[in-house]
Amino acid sequence: MNRIATIIIGTLLTLLATDSGAKTLPLPKDLPPYGADKPIPVPRIDKHTLANGMTVWIVVDAEGVPKVNYVLAVRGGKASDPRTQNGLSDIMAGALEEGTRTRSAIQIAQELQALGAGLGAAAGREGTTVTAGGPTSNAAGILALLADVVRNPIFPEAEIELAKTNAQQGMLAAKADPGYQAGVAFDRAVYGDHVYGTGEPTAETIASITPQMARELHARRFRPERALLVVSGRADAGQTLKLVKKYFGDWPRGSGPVEADVPAAAREVTPARVFIAREGSVQSAIRVGRPAFNAADPIQAKADVAETILGGGFGSRLFDNLREQKGYTYGAYAGFGALRNGGSLVAAADVRNEVTGPAIGEINREFQRMVDEPVSADELARSQRYIAGVYLFRNQMRGSVAGSLANLWLEGRAPEELGEYVNKVRAVSVADVQDVARKYFRPQDQSIVVVGDPSVAEQLKPYGSFGSSAK
Amino acid sequence: MTHRIKSAALAVLALLATTTQAAAPQWTLPVKTHTLANGLTVVVSEDHTSPTVGMSVVYRIGMRREPQGRSGFAHLFEHMMFQGTPTAPKGVFDQVIQGGGGVLNGSTHADYTNYIEAAPVSALEPILWLEADRMKTLDFSPQNLKNQQDVVKEEIRVNVKNQPYGLFFWTDIARLAFSKWQNAHDGYGSFTDLENANLQDVAAFHRDFYGPNNAVIGIVGDVDANEVFRLVEKYFAGLPSRAVPKGVDVSEPYDTGEKRERQTDPLAQVPAVAVAWRGPTQGSKDQAPMAMLSQLLLGDSASRLYQGLVKGRQLAVQLDGGLNFPLGGAWDYTGPALFTILALYKPDTTADAVVQAMDEEVAKIARDGVDGKTLAALKTRMHSSYMTAMEPFLSRADAIARAQALWNDASTVNQIPGWIEAVTAEDIRRVAKTYFKRENRVVIDRVPAPTAADKSATAN
Repeated sequence: MNRIATIIIGTLLTLLATDSGAKTLPLPKDLPPYGADKPIPVPRIDKHTLANGMTVWIVVDAEGVPKVNYVLAVRGGKASDPRTQNGLSDIMAGALEEGTRTRSAIQIAQELQALGAGLGAAAGREGTTVTAGGPTSNAAGILALLADVVRNPIFPEAEIELAKTNAQQGMLAAKADPGYQAGVAFDRAVYGDHVYGTGEPTAETIASITPQMARELHARRFRPERALLVVSGRADAGQTLKLVKKYFGDWPRGSGPVEADVPAAAREVTPARVFIAREGSVQSAIRVGRPAFNAADPIQAKADVAETILGGGFGSRLFDNLREQKGYTYGAYAGFGALRNGGSLVAAADVRNEVTGPAIGEINREFQRMVDEPVSADELARSQRYIAGVYLFRNQMRGSVAGSLANLWLEGRAPEELGEYVNKVRAVSVADVQDVARKYFRPQDQSIVVVGDPSVAEQLKPYGSFGSSAK
Repeated sequence: MTHRIKSAALAVLALLATTTQAAAPQWTLPVKTHTLANGLTVVVSEDHTSPTVGMSVVYRIGMRREPQGRSGFAHLFEHMMFQGTPTAPKGVFDQVIQGGGGVLNGSTHADYTNYIEAAPVSALEPILWLEADRMKTLDFSPQNLKNQQDVVKEEIRVNVKNQPYGLFFWTDIARLAFSKWQNAHDGYGSFTDLENANLQDVAAFHRDFYGPNNAVIGIVGDVDANEVFRLVEKYFAGLPSRAVPKGVDVSEPYDTGEKRERQTDPLAQVPAVAVAWRGPTQGSKDQAPMAMLSQLLLGDSASRLYQGLVKGRQLAVQLDGGLNFPLGGAWDYTGPALFTILALYKPDTTADAVVQAMDEEVAKIARDGVDGKTLAALKTRMHSSYMTAMEPFLSRADAIARAQALWNDASTVNQIPGWIEAVTAEDIRRVAKTYFKRENRVVIDRVPAPTAADKSATAN
């Protein structure tokens, strides 16, 4: 049975555009045109709900690499950690595979190796996911192990203590990275006091974590009625559902309080100017941006086109200007990041010290140009095709399609959106792109965060009064 | 003058017999090869599960054979390959491929440089045209060279000079471990050497190392192999083959005595130690056992060093490494390669204690080998990882092109699982004893530099 439904794309686009887009280069006369576009496959999802309320989406077929991937997602992540216990979600997720009622940590590790499987848990801001994958021939064994670490972890004292010590050292190591410092300061600047801006762990919050806290968090968060399991890869759908019922069908519903919902983040803040002095830096890490929309906002497809033109891939305006024309940086990018309850826009470049000021000036100039001038029809068409192509690669690997579907669910969106996305992108107009730019790209609305050597502070003066943290 | 078409059986998926716990399947890739009269080899593996194509053009030139006095040149040159040609000026390449829905990149390694694209299959023909165009000649423009000298310096700043650890486990380890300039020099390059590079260097490098006879094209995806061969003939057959300069002997001796170095790092906050042993040569009978020893020591959370150093002794915070780390995998080198282990360790211990713990774990393997159950688990895990790594078309295209370029045989991708399967416990014991000797290794301990406050405390 063919498990891939298809949508047919209407017309064949060619790149031989004749309009006067400022950036469009004339093509070599002998360059062959693109061939006919093939239909984009849309994953067909078998949707089930188990008697205990657990959602199950199965996206499998009989072709391709003989591998199966599982993603189990539950609602609730780092944004739900109590502020005095920042880092708890990470510790709890990491410790899921450190021992269950019937398996020790080393038994789990050895069993995974013997199955040829990988397993990992990670806490996001709005969800926690446990992923596992391996050869289709071991699909049952891998699922059994996944179910055990999800349902029966015991959070041994010694393992939690070791995880805390290593998390503290890991955080010290991360703090030495200018990109990490810039990211934390940027989130604080655009999200303010909202948990998206204040969720970073410190040595103190990690020290305060106990095994009991991890157990209680697990009990609040891991419940079948608040869980989704996505299965993708090469497998039989009926057999897969049987296995899922076998290992998760008797998972009892949760009792007691669930986690409170995360409040919506502000969509407007007073732009901040933050300079973090890092003695001896040979580059300035520059981040320019603002709060934006949340994941379910219908502006998403339009915004994706706008961000691609401004700062996506090697052909974007920021990349061309700051790297290919000026040689200021190895890379310059911009993009929106949308979460369930808020989002942001960021433009980023790491540039050598002496061009810190000019680089901010160029980023502002590219933002302003998007606001002032409509993009060319040709630039629009290229970015639409680029986004559609990247969508194809994202779906080509079954592991990534499972992850994409789990993210949609965590964001409160329908799985069908995955199949509708490319058509939405194709419908975006030049006017839509300018609407996005007028709403989000105005330079005067952007916060600016710079991590760099103290000597670059002088270059920041034309861009405002910089403090050492967001107000 | 031969046109050769080698064809393997169509995709055979041999799922090994299952009991309750099955071994990982051995996955055989369909591989077809065609060599043009000018020496260009094309390798195609069809897969019609997605209407896309992954492509990798691998040139048999990397950092090892760049000219002396021009450290970093192979990588700078890789950047110049994206700076346009007389017929397709700067910007056209990116515009056509990304505008066709594709992504692209390039990367430079010790023994090869690859240029990769993944795109909807509708973009294949213009991409082939563009690859042929830049194989023919480049736009040797002073502005573009100056621009990319600046960009590469920013790349080195962002990845090395502004980062804690500064990739010491690659560049400094190689400097300490090897005696020949080709193996020992910094492949990212000194700023002086990069600034001294000129257009004559660029033209000579292109002429000498970027001819069709020094290249392999790997293509995987929703294509017909014979149609691909026809298109490659159409766009590349007109390029004449070009003489490739003979390489020097880059082999290195073993067991030349332990070397140790201590460094301070003004940006790091957690100490690190890197240990590197000279590894087996390409194609040696020790290569597969060494790859398996890497899995045993470092591969996952069941591994000996994770269990022994992070868990048991609780000395290390994080571990990384392997054969040919960090720029490639166990099968991707032709010259000398190191087996390197990098550990971030806790401030209340020492590099000596960490290295001693590594020695103890290796000694156990050299003495006792591994039991049959562990050996089977290692093999299952390696087969599975090997298959997973080749799941994306682009990775698969790169793998078949590399196999042809570095092993002169694309079907090596289908032989490697057999080499893994054939490894015995005695093989693992032998390579642990042979290579992991004190006199065959170098060690660099890299500790956070004392802060100004620390210094004044010491002075008082």
